[in-house]
Amino acid sequence: MSDIIKTSDFDMEFRDEVFKEPDADKITLCFNCTGCTSGCPMAEQEPEYNIRKFLRMANLGMKDALLNSPYLWYCTTCYKCQERCPQGVKNVDTLLKIRTIAIQNGIMLDNHRKVSQLVIKLGHAVPINDDAKEKRKDVGLDDTPPTVHKFEDALGEVQKLLKISGFNELVAEKEETS
Amino acid sequence: MTEQEAITNEESEELRIGAFICECGVNIAGAVDCYAVADYISTLPNVVTAVVNKYTCSDAGQAEIKNAIKDLNLNRVLVASCTPKTHEPIFRACVEEAGLNQYLFEFVNIREHCSWIHMWEKEDATRKAKELVRMGVARAALLEPLESSEVPVTNKALVIGAGVTGMQAAMDIGDMGFKVYLVEQGPSIGGKMAQLDKTFPTNDCSICILGPKMVEVARNENIEIMSYSEVEEVDGYVGNFKVKVKHKPRYLNIDECTGCGLCTEKCPVEVPYTEFNEGIGTRKAIYTPFPQAVPLRALVDKSICIDCGACIKACERGAIDMDQTETFSELDVGVIVVTAGYDVYDPEPNHDFGFGFYDNVITTMEFERLINASGPTMGKVVRPSDVQPPKRIGFVQCVGSRDKNSNIYCSSFCCMASLKNAQLLKEKYPETEVYIMYMDMRTPFRMYEEFYNRARDMGIRFIRGRPAEVTENEDHNIIARIEDTLTNEIVNLELDLMVLSVGAVASESTETIRQILKVSKAADGFMMEAHPKLKPVDTTLDGIFIGGMTQGPKDIPYSISQGSACAARATRFLAQGKAMTEGITAKVDDDICVACGVCVPMCPFQALSIEDDKLKILTALCKGCGTCMAACPTGALDQSHFKNEQLLAQVKNVFAYGEV
Repeated sequence: MSDIIKTSDFDMEFRDEVFKEPDADKITLCFNCTGCTSGCPMAEQEPEYNIRKFLRMANLGMKDALLNSPYLWYCTTCYKCQERCPQGVKNVDTLLKIRTIAIQNGIMLDNHRKVSQLVIKLGHAVPINDDAKEKRKDVGLDDTPPTVHKFEDALGEVQKLLKISGFNELVAEKEETS
Repeated sequence: MTEQEAITNEESEELRIGAFICECGVNIAGAVDCYAVADYISTLPNVVTAVVNKYTCSDAGQAEIKNAIKDLNLNRVLVASCTPKTHEPIFRACVEEAGLNQYLFEFVNIREHCSWIHMWEKEDATRKAKELVRMGVARAALLEPLESSEVPVTNKALVIGAGVTGMQAAMDIGDMGFKVYLVEQGPSIGGKMAQLDKTFPTNDCSICILGPKMVEVARNENIEIMSYSEVEEVDGYVGNFKVKVKHKPRYLNIDECTGCGLCTEKCPVEVPYTEFNEGIGTRKAIYTPFPQAVPLRALVDKSICIDCGACIKACERGAIDMDQTETFSELDVGVIVVTAGYDVYDPEPNHDFGFGFYDNVITTMEFERLINASGPTMGKVVRPSDVQPPKRIGFVQCVGSRDKNSNIYCSSFCCMASLKNAQLLKEKYPETEVYIMYMDMRTPFRMYEEFYNRARDMGIRFIRGRPAEVTENEDHNIIARIEDTLTNEIVNLELDLMVLSVGAVASESTETIRQILKVSKAADGFMMEAHPKLKPVDTTLDGIFIGGMTQGPKDIPYSISQGSACAARATRFLAQGKAMTEGITAKVDDDICVACGVCVPMCPFQALSIEDDKLKILTALCKGCGTCMAACPTGALDQSHFKNEQLLAQVKNVFAYGEV
């Protein structure tokens, strides 16, 4: 944190990459009214999560510092900030683009990777458990929902789709290195 | 040689065109090979000379044009340089001085239309410049001499809106010896400035400096104040405007009323005092606007009056006349100055920062009335919920300004207004905690930055940020959730009173006047000046001027400067006693015209009418805009200087030079 930022930390190609998202270049219009951060329910829980700062870092092209920040993943996409912004900055859309770039660079939180493995294995990020099954029965539903849980063929299709789309490589490859 | 002889000679003589290509330093020459253009143009028919100047508009350049007209007997002059918006009048005057009719001058723009937009394509830019000039040569050959006519000017002025800007304009015109009608829709002159407590950067009492000025306006024998009146209709043109003014009924004889206030004392009806005190406190159904009002006369609010007759009995002079109706005046004036002012941004519909939900969120204007010694609380600052003095007060900047959800522009005066109000609080109640929540503090101009420094010295706390979420606790205190960007920490700021520093918006009455006068409107909703730098108080309509907030948000010194500027610009016409009308006008071919009248409502300047089954064009009103010509179904209308044949000649020469 105490390192002084150097000009060489500014990666303009990264900035251009972020700006490929429609209207992401509106982050240049930010005049730091701080409406995004002060109204952010996540910032209330975790002060290190500061979307204004992240967008500023993207604008400066601070690729490494930004992509490697674990707090990049704390946004819950409630979109309060984007609604509120007086300058029309697409706060959340831009942050999602930054996350996409992070994943393309192989940067992902361990927890997310684990969840991804669940998707590959079971077709669900949050698979059903006994508790949920009981609750379904209580309200008069079949204990297994009509998803890949019920149709094993469909699970095969989901897995095929994930494979074709390169999802497996995106999440699996990195597990080897980590 | 008289002018008439000159014109005859021009018509009978062979065409002799002189072309002058401007390099504009490197503005044009940087992208366009001007010498190549000149070489090419000199080969075209009727072109006698084609030369390159470093700066054609300079004294030397203009002298070259004048000499060439004389030495080479030129009867058409073409200049290829920049924009006609700034330079056409210069070159027209130049050729006229050399004895050529000014409309025999052709202007080609090879800067904005060519070199500036093709900065990196030199070859193509040069080719395009050649083509543009070639088109100009073709049109120049078909130009005809035109005459603008002189019209007499009625040496009286109308000023619409008697705020501080309008008062200044009226006084300056009056002092120059001309009659001024000063029309004000409210019952008193003085405008918004009369409501303010103190004024920055000197913190002197607003009404103490405005009041004497208001009296001075009333005393000026050249100014006729028409208060509680509205401009209904405006016809005519520069020098000869006909204006209809409506005088709203006060239900009282203004010559008999002395403003003594006995009627108000006896009146049993009380309502919130919205007009002057921003809804704080009450006023009666019959009332005088405020103690310093000019004219100091009462008026009746008929919407709440119960016709009890108490006031009629109270009035010793028998001034009250409940049967009064609206009356009208017809005015003849030569010039019009519009200083119709603005509205304060209203945060109610959007509930900005909880305004309208929470009692203790108020606007700057409400605060001005609260802290004003002659206000509803006699200058004691209390908060609305419990009428107790607040111990912690916060100002939120840029409310209704710099926000795409309301207005994108900066209202410019609110930073200084809040600095002023914060200082007043600290002076009056040194124990009060005062916060200013801002994004940027904008304090240009003399003594303004010093004023900002003074605020910091006084212990006013500045938080660089803007609250996102505002809530109210059980004590009706306001909790503003704000990030202090200088520490990157989020703060829950608890305040007893929060003041929204609201900006300015174009008022409804300004918009009404704008539509009556047909002045252009800018993207921000305010009236549009003729040129943002060179003609800041002129409009595109001759004889109509705009000043103060009518043109956009500004503070008091700037507004007063514009009031004086309007007076100076307007009085030029009054002093000369004459005005020139545009030579470029619509012309009708009576043999083709069937008097269908389609064009008549199209004309934005009411220049057209059908009389005796014939189209009549009042050329003094015509601005040569061409709207009628485009609407004409038979092609009977043509516009001099932009005749079909002249334009077609240009079009036909886009690709190669050919006779038309």
